[in-house]
Amino acid sequence: MKKYWRCFVCNDIHYGLAPPDICPTCKVKNAYIEISSHEAENVTFLNTEMDKDTFTRAIEAFTENNDFQVNPDKEKVGMLLEGIFNNEKNHGLKYCPCRLIAKERDEDLKLICPCNFLIHETYKEKEDGECWCGLFVRRK
Amino acid sequence: MESVGADFLYGENNMNKLIMFHGRECPHCKKMQLLVDRLEKETGITIDRREVWHDEKNADLMRTKRDLISAKCGGQLRVPTFLNSETDDVMCGEFEYEKLKEWAIKS
Repeated sequence: MKKYWRCFVCNDIHYGLAPPDICPTCKVKNAYIEISSHEAENVTFLNTEMDKDTFTRAIEAFTENNDFQVNPDKEKVGMLLEGIFNNEKNHGLKYCPCRLIAKERDEDLKLICPCNFLIHETYKEKEDGECWCGLFVRRK
Repeated sequence: MESVGADFLYGENNMNKLIMFHGRECPHCKKMQLLVDRLEKETGITIDRREVWHDEKNADLMRTKRDLISAKCGGQLRVPTFLNSETDDVMCGEFEYEKLKEWAIKS
């Protein structure tokens, strides 16, 4: 079962079966302790809110070394970002605007953008694959 | 929060049996809305459009059909989803006008 882990040096939060050996943020070794979801939420909310431009730069950087990219259709991306940020404001997390939360935590975590779309039938083994909402498309 | 169950879905509340669940900021939904507009104009059939991210009643209504919808939509509640509440016929995503018309007419 996945758990929350916090680096006691820099408060980096990790969600997984085990913590990383080295903190990717502060590079300290064996610095993670297990914490509650409540604490993880509180620590996360201490962070500065991310605006659309910052988020866009982050997902562009995320795609750089991958076989997918942010959709070049700016209008579509603009609409999706509007939905993602509205969902964060109204429902707490950056949920995909093209799906709906089931109100089951584990299932709903799968809907946070960017999701693991590599396993989706709309992307996997498709030459012109894209994530369900179309924010990410296979790089040509 | 008020829950919405089968009574709401099937009750005598003038609800159309053909439902489109959609999201305001979903580009696929926007595209399909244009096809629904055309369908309604050409055939006189009406589809009950339910926005799910900004209307919790509509979201709850969609969740009552989760098993049915997720079985046809990659294991999740995805929009746009087209549901015939009488036959439980479900389609989701973007598709051609003729396919939408076929779904609506056979209902």
